[in-house]
Amino acid sequence: MSITIHSLSKRFGSFTALDRVELEIPKGELVALLGPSGCGKTTLLRIIAGLESADEGNILFDGEDTSARHVRDRNVGFVFQHYALFQHMSVFENIAFGLRVRPRARRPSEEQIRAKVQELLSLVQLEWLAGRYPSQLSGGQRQRIALARALAVEPQVLLLDEPFGALDTKVRKELRRWLRRLHDELHITSVFVTHDQEEALEVADRIVVMNHGRVEQIGSPQQVYDAPATPFVYQFLGHINLFHGRAHSGWVRLGGLRIQAPEYQNTESMPAIAYVRPHDIDLLREPEDSDTTISATVVRVSSLGSLVRLELLQDSDGESTEVEMTRERYAADPLQAGDQVFVKPRYLRVFLNDDPKRTPPVHWNGDGDGI
Amino acid sequence: MAFTRFLTASQTAPIRRTTTESPAIRRLFIGMALLFLTLFLFFPLAAVFYEALRKGLGVYFAAIVDPDALAAIRLTLLCAAIAVPLNMVFGVAAAWAIAKFEFVGKSVLITLIDLPFAVSPVIAGLIYVLMFGAQGWLGPWLVAHDIKIIFAVPGIVLATVFVTFPFIARELIPLMQEQGVEEEEAALVMGASGWQTFWRITLPNIKWGLLYGVVLCTARAMGEFGAVSVVSGHIRGLTNTLPLQVEILYNEYNFAAAFAVASLLTLLAVVMLAIKSVIEWQTRKARLAALAIRGEPE
Repeated sequence: MSITIHSLSKRFGSFTALDRVELEIPKGELVALLGPSGCGKTTLLRIIAGLESADEGNILFDGEDTSARHVRDRNVGFVFQHYALFQHMSVFENIAFGLRVRPRARRPSEEQIRAKVQELLSLVQLEWLAGRYPSQLSGGQRQRIALARALAVEPQVLLLDEPFGALDTKVRKELRRWLRRLHDELHITSVFVTHDQEEALEVADRIVVMNHGRVEQIGSPQQVYDAPATPFVYQFLGHINLFHGRAHSGWVRLGGLRIQAPEYQNTESMPAIAYVRPHDIDLLREPEDSDTTISATVVRVSSLGSLVRLELLQDSDGESTEVEMTRERYAADPLQAGDQVFVKPRYLRVFLNDDPKRTPPVHWNGDGDGI
Repeated sequence: MAFTRFLTASQTAPIRRTTTESPAIRRLFIGMALLFLTLFLFFPLAAVFYEALRKGLGVYFAAIVDPDALAAIRLTLLCAAIAVPLNMVFGVAAAWAIAKFEFVGKSVLITLIDLPFAVSPVIAGLIYVLMFGAQGWLGPWLVAHDIKIIFAVPGIVLATVFVTFPFIARELIPLMQEQGVEEEEAALVMGASGWQTFWRITLPNIKWGLLYGVVLCTARAMGEFGAVSVVSGHIRGLTNTLPLQVEILYNEYNFAAAFAVASLLTLLAVVMLAIKSVIEWQTRKARLAALAIRGEPE
């Protein structure tokens, strides 16, 4: 089932949780709602489920407005962050619950229920836990049972609210790969909420980045990481370095760096910020050309497994810059704390300060020309 | 050699926990608590039974099977049998509303629930006299329709309900707030109706707390004196509950009978306390078991 969200708004008192959200979720996709806490992602998920109602706007399932439909008639599966398993019921009864509460006419026979529960237990690979109680399970097992329970009613849409948020790192990694495989098997339209960018990048077909109740960007994991649409997305996904400067009649000047930017042909001395990923920077011993490098001093070198991270201070304004490179590349020219270097961004994007959404971002590939 | 001795000495020295007080101080505090309990609790309790049985078992049983005493027992049980189920329904409904929903006037409702704790029971009784008594607001209307509330059983039941209604709600509100609404939401999403959600999810989750509240409520319903005394009219064999019967007998210098009836009330209280302890023990056992197994690896 496809989900269309049209101009959805929700306020809690004076707090705006969702601000005219527009979103299209195609059938069978696994979509991540990603954002910091308080960005409205959970509220959006709960409104889709029907656990919360919107102030304005509507939600269509396969083109049909659901606003008036009661939560129990929406046929969605919902997985809670803290599992919300029924403590006083065995695993078997938890999964069977959705079938047992059906009106008599639609209720399956005891045999059918048993078969369905067994099928779901083997889907989540926990057949041997049928008789146990939720308090006797580990966190990872509980979340898999919660998922089996949500799937028991054969929902058209699966909604997951921070499904791995309460688990430790190792279990979380295993479980999210498992969720991805499960989705590839079932192809059920799924939406999951997370604040963990790594989780979203690894699991989702598409990522919806949210901030302050608005959608900042929608795209594939690669799109949102490689081509962030707004400064917020840039900062939220991965590490970044900021270079402050000014845009003036077709040029952007950042410290010693000067970039041609025809987009800003008519801009008169506006403050601008350039965003550069730590792995998109080259470090040179000698200045290549005064207009394409910024001089800096190495302050700290730390080894992070396969990567080496260098912390620099720019000589002109004392701003700190982070650079990451592979171990091999570092070994070819091992810089030490105190060394003088020249920073050369390979790829950067410039946003004007006043309204990052309206001004076109400038891409620069390190060859001195704007794109 | 000296070194070895030093080592042995330090090994055999008693290990004292650094967070506890010395044994002397601990004994002092425990002793004080025991002394206090003995003076103010055990002695009076023992005295009740001693006085009740002083003139022999024959007098004791005669006092209890006295028609007035039997009527008092029946009335007390009837009051409890009406007040407790009423407060069960009210308590669960109020706790459900307060714990699971946001609405205007929530804090006012919570304050109102506490009112019977704050108001003296005598005043509670007087309010009912003011409302339903012959000179009260509804008095003339009641007389015209030949309905008796004050100095009759309905008044006693009303006063008992008023005095006991915080017990169950107070017990359930924090419990239901702690449990949150996630399990109910999960049930609703899976297609359960509100009624199914209540019977299959909410009620099983609060059953021990509810039982605990019922026990406290019952104990108070049977033991209430002040409010009931004001509305009862002390008509022997008709509107006397057990506590009122004790007072009447005592005022007539019929000490053996007074203490015999009092011992019945005391026994009821002790039984309720025992049930309460069992419930507490059950709840703790369930929680501990859950906690212990939770640490098990996958």
